[in-house]
Amino acid sequence: MAQEVRGEFYDLLAARGVTRRDFMKFCGSVAAVIGLSEVYAPQIASAIAAGTLQPALWLAHGLCTGCTESMAQIGVPDVPTIVLDLLSVNYWETVMAAAGTQAEDNITATVDKGGYIVIVEGSVMTGQGGNVLRIAGKPGVDELKEVCSKAKAVIAVGSCAVDGGWVAGDPNPAKATGVQAYLAQNGIKTPVVNLPTCPVNPEWVVSVLVDYLLVGALPPLNEFNEPKSLYSETIHDNCPRRGHFENGEFVQFGSADQTAQEAAGFCLYQMGCKGPQTKTTCPLVRWNRRVSWCVESGSPCIGCGTADPLKGGPGNWVDAGTPFLSRLADTRLPGIGGVQPSTIGAVVGGVAAAGLVVHGVVSASKGRIKGVPQESEKKFDSKNKSSEGGDK
Amino acid sequence: MSHEGHYREAHPLIFVFTHWINLLCMIGLAFTGFYIHYPFFAGFMNGARTIHFTLMFILLINLTSRVILAFWVKDANQLGSKAVDTDLKNWLPQEENKHQFMETVKYYLFFRNTRVISAKYGALQKIAYLATVPIILYMAYTGFALYTPAQSWGIWPFFAAGVSFFGGAMGIRIAHYFGMWVVILFTMVHAYLAAIDGFKPLWGLIFLWRES
Repeated sequence: MAQEVRGEFYDLLAARGVTRRDFMKFCGSVAAVIGLSEVYAPQIASAIAAGTLQPALWLAHGLCTGCTESMAQIGVPDVPTIVLDLLSVNYWETVMAAAGTQAEDNITATVDKGGYIVIVEGSVMTGQGGNVLRIAGKPGVDELKEVCSKAKAVIAVGSCAVDGGWVAGDPNPAKATGVQAYLAQNGIKTPVVNLPTCPVNPEWVVSVLVDYLLVGALPPLNEFNEPKSLYSETIHDNCPRRGHFENGEFVQFGSADQTAQEAAGFCLYQMGCKGPQTKTTCPLVRWNRRVSWCVESGSPCIGCGTADPLKGGPGNWVDAGTPFLSRLADTRLPGIGGVQPSTIGAVVGGVAAAGLVVHGVVSASKGRIKGVPQESEKKFDSKNKSSEGGDK
Repeated sequence: MSHEGHYREAHPLIFVFTHWINLLCMIGLAFTGFYIHYPFFAGFMNGARTIHFTLMFILLINLTSRVILAFWVKDANQLGSKAVDTDLKNWLPQEENKHQFMETVKYYLFFRNTRVISAKYGALQKIAYLATVPIILYMAYTGFALYTPAQSWGIWPFFAAGVSFFGGAMGIRIAHYFGMWVVILFTMVHAYLAAIDGFKPLWGLIFLWRES
């Protein structure tokens, strides 16, 4: 198909310093990420090379621009950059040259033309009637509703866009929430793909986009609207340190052997690693041009890939994951604040033990340990004997 | 005044066995559970997890057997009596003792000094023993929900509902952890009351099946 287009495309790649071989290798890895065999690499190459420019808008809401930073770490010059050039991204606040009215006009023009997809970075800030975040002189949520309602699909990149992320952490003063939840509350039925983690992994964004360009549909999603191929297995199950977990070899924070344990690459479970309950492909895809990822570089997983987009609240990974270096999240007690469940257990157990000791001493002083006479008649019976004939 | 007599009819040998199995499983589950929660010494994680899962399966089989046995094993239902009836009657609260519930609470809080007339098990005791069934099932459910986080198992949706109910994987972990403290508190109070209410005859019978 479209041999001449492909030729032009490879010229374009060559101008960017990317060889045909590099490009095919990239297509093979994209195939792997989206769950296809590498034999699909040529088809993926065709889809990318012959693809018409897919209009897209990258919206910035309650964000730190970390996800955009993460996208920038796909390499310079690298093939994904070219792939993203194949999208006609008409608005990307953090990186675009346009500003002011000219930039906002790009949104209006794209929405009027239709057939576009939306990528949202950052949480939906609903506080103070949406005035916590104002964009182009209007509440930010107005822009989100208008743009998303007419889009073909919405891709929520990063934890904040998925379920509010950091911004929605307790006590959530900006009343931040995720894109999917917000659209559902407002009756907007545009399909949403969620790509949690903080920041988003650029490889996953590329894989979803390529999947969309290739087959014209979104990838199969799980119950949280996350691509099944990316969010079905725990980090723990694919972790390079897993063997040390099974052997019971852990990095012990503050111990004399800590340096040696870290050098040996022991498991970070004792340091509060959330890998056993976080489902992402971080250990396989890795980050920063596939150089490394959190656990490989020595930090326990903090569970940023956990999300329950429609539920939010206590399902939010920030509330559920802190303190990051503890095995369990703090339980929030009214009037006291966050307390570790193990502290609560020990206090309750200690109080109960003390109570039993006191009870035992009083029982002994009243002679109960030797035995106490039983009542000769039930109290209820003696009270009600005359009037009702007593208990049965 | 001495305590009531404790006869073998009150605790048939088969229930001495099921009680031993419960006790050993609980100790093993609590120890390995604490270890899995926070491995306080090196080199035992694989063993701890294997033992933890195995003991829970044993506990569930024991629970199922115990419930089935309750329908046809006959034992004494009344304190100090050798007259036997279906064991299930020991579990279910009785209509005739419903007014004894508050009296029992008062007795344990020292608001009255004479013991309360009751069946072999007092009103509070029956409720506590009956509650062990849902508590064990709750621990099994939350435990298996932690054990099967990958969605490849066909049975996963059954557990995913619980994970969602408790607010995610961390929520159900904490729920499982607190459940263990409920079991520990039950065991403390259970052992304490059994100890002050005639330690020698009662413990001799339930652990060694020895009448005194």
